[in-house]
Amino acid sequence: MLENILGIIFSIPFAFSILRITTPILFAALAAVVADRAGVTNIGLEGIMMISALTGVIFSAWTQSAGVGLLCAMVIGMLVALMIGFFALILKTDIILAGIAVNMLGSGGTILFMYLASGDRGYSANLASKVMPSIDIPLIKDIPVLGQILSGHNVLTYVALLCVFLVWVLLYKTPLGLQIRSVGENPNAADSVGVSVNRISFIALGISGVLAGLGGAFMSMGYMSSFNTNMTAGRGFIALAAEAMGRGEPLGTFLTSLLFGFADALANNLQSLGFPAELVKMTPYVFTIVGLAVYAASTMNKAKKIRHHSKTKKAGAAQAGA
Amino acid sequence: MKKYFSLFLALALVLMMFAGCGGSPEPAAPAAPAETPADGSTAPAETPAPAGEKLKVANVVNGNLGDKSFFDSCEAGLSQLAADGIIEYKTFELGPTDADQPKWLSTLEELSADGSYDLIVCGTYQMPDYLTQVATNYPDQKYLIYDSAVDLPNVVCVNYKQNDMGYLVGTAAALATSSDLPNMNPEKVIGFVGGENGPVINDFLVGYIQGAQAADPDVKIDTQYVGNFYDTGAAKELANVMIGQNKCDIVWGVAGGAGNGAAEAANELKAWFIGVDSDQEATFSIAQPELAAVTLFSGLKNIGDSIIWVINEQLAGNTHYGETLNLGISEGGVSLATGGNFQTLPDDIKKAVEDATTKITSGEIVVDTAFGDNAADVEAIREGARP
Repeated sequence: MLENILGIIFSIPFAFSILRITTPILFAALAAVVADRAGVTNIGLEGIMMISALTGVIFSAWTQSAGVGLLCAMVIGMLVALMIGFFALILKTDIILAGIAVNMLGSGGTILFMYLASGDRGYSANLASKVMPSIDIPLIKDIPVLGQILSGHNVLTYVALLCVFLVWVLLYKTPLGLQIRSVGENPNAADSVGVSVNRISFIALGISGVLAGLGGAFMSMGYMSSFNTNMTAGRGFIALAAEAMGRGEPLGTFLTSLLFGFADALANNLQSLGFPAELVKMTPYVFTIVGLAVYAASTMNKAKKIRHHSKTKKAGAAQAGA
Repeated sequence: MKKYFSLFLALALVLMMFAGCGGSPEPAAPAAPAETPADGSTAPAETPAPAGEKLKVANVVNGNLGDKSFFDSCEAGLSQLAADGIIEYKTFELGPTDADQPKWLSTLEELSADGSYDLIVCGTYQMPDYLTQVATNYPDQKYLIYDSAVDLPNVVCVNYKQNDMGYLVGTAAALATSSDLPNMNPEKVIGFVGGENGPVINDFLVGYIQGAQAADPDVKIDTQYVGNFYDTGAAKELANVMIGQNKCDIVWGVAGGAGNGAAEAANELKAWFIGVDSDQEATFSIAQPELAAVTLFSGLKNIGDSIIWVINEQLAGNTHYGETLNLGISEGGVSLATGGNFQTLPDDIKKAVEDATTKITSGEIVVDTAFGDNAADVEAIREGARP
């Protein structure tokens, strides 16, 4: 049995599927990173993804251009995120409630809009929408095993990987990133040195919306070639967990998103080995708990070591003094 | 604000009282003849509604219309009855997610308390608990539940022999996997993507396995469950594993809307998809011709037809309350969609499907079921058939 599992884990289709499964989670998790670092928790990722997934399908069907559909999905994602900002920052609603409202809108509202746009309600059967293309990467595709794993993905998968780097650059290498982090850590301090807290929060939410919109567009214009209600199926929430586990760091969040992708891919394979479906569905959550436990243990260990270290130093100093 | 709210509530209560008064004579009328059989007379139990007085039906959908199969089929049946002037109906769409579930019970409760509907229709395996609770509290209200069963005297249950349908699908799939159709691999493995590991889905499955292995004992069946009926991505990943790693060349998607994910996988990995509940090849052909092209055929659950049948029976004086109707092939409850790509199948497959149909109808073949006292050991069957 273990041999079978290992055989699957080290197979090329398995590694390939991890990247594909990770893509929507990674987009949404990066969206969570940007918002969270500015101190605005965007819990409406799931709803934004759903709305953007539908927007992409509708506009790509109307214009017969996947690019226009993608652009519209990103713009709508941004607008919905800014709407959360409007309610939370200007009208002072609780941002969690605003996010929940957007999630409900994503679940119910998309049905209404799909019906208005095409007469469909459950699934976009009447909309001949376009999908983003899959691409082979020159050079990399010729490397034996690695090429088969890394090349041939949907273009949005590569955009997601690129976004990890871009978000890192944004947060750590640009003045805006510095302002975002300062607003997130201490808005009063940022305010006192002349940073407009609201403006920065809005910008962070806007970026977060664009990223979540990309994740939604991937669902309906890459992963699938149509929209159906509730198709994001909780990926926006998994992303929040990935962001929390990644401690809000772009790279850490990338790794935890990959972990979720890995767990999901593993779950898909375990069923065909005869593991009960219900048990297998728990895999991603078991990974979360184990991951958090390991993380907590290691930070506690580190803290202990530091304390121990400083104690011995003190003792050493005392001895030297004696 | 609070004052207005309480005023509004009071107003709503008063209105409801009036509505209750207005509605009460209607249910009272059929209640009287219902007592007559108690006298021992076998005279017509219920007089058909007089001309001009239509049966009022509430259609409770614990999901959304637009699934192009299950709920739409029921809706189509009711809308045809309405067009024929037999009933007037209203549909209540409640949504499928966990967050929507509280509405399912409360809507049933409200409609029953309202009392103005002669019949409340609902369906799916998710409703029996709620319906049992409500139908016990309102013994005078009549209910119809399809694709599930509730054992109460005021409920008529309509079940479909999806195991019979599964048998036909399995027969065709098992013969097709070793046929010389394009995209068939030499391995005799076929796949099954189910929505949830529950009796209804497993009823499809046991029939599928039995039919497949009756047609060709060497055929293996790889079964996996999505865990819900809307995560197309998860269904696609499962089908990817089946086709890519486990050598399936035909995948049957029995997972509601999520099944479309299996069709996408079949399209990308050059395999075949089988649809369920409605003619999915026809649905795909509107906007996704590439998916229609890989849809071999579909197993049909004719919910609309069955509801038309039950209501016509009732109007003819044959009520089935307290009964569970099992509609199979001969009753028109299930069938195969035999248009489109099915016609390109070799003649021996079509003939095998016809033979199986006659044998099931005549009772020569008895298909295993995942329901009731005679339920087969699903787990043993499923794991035994795995490649």
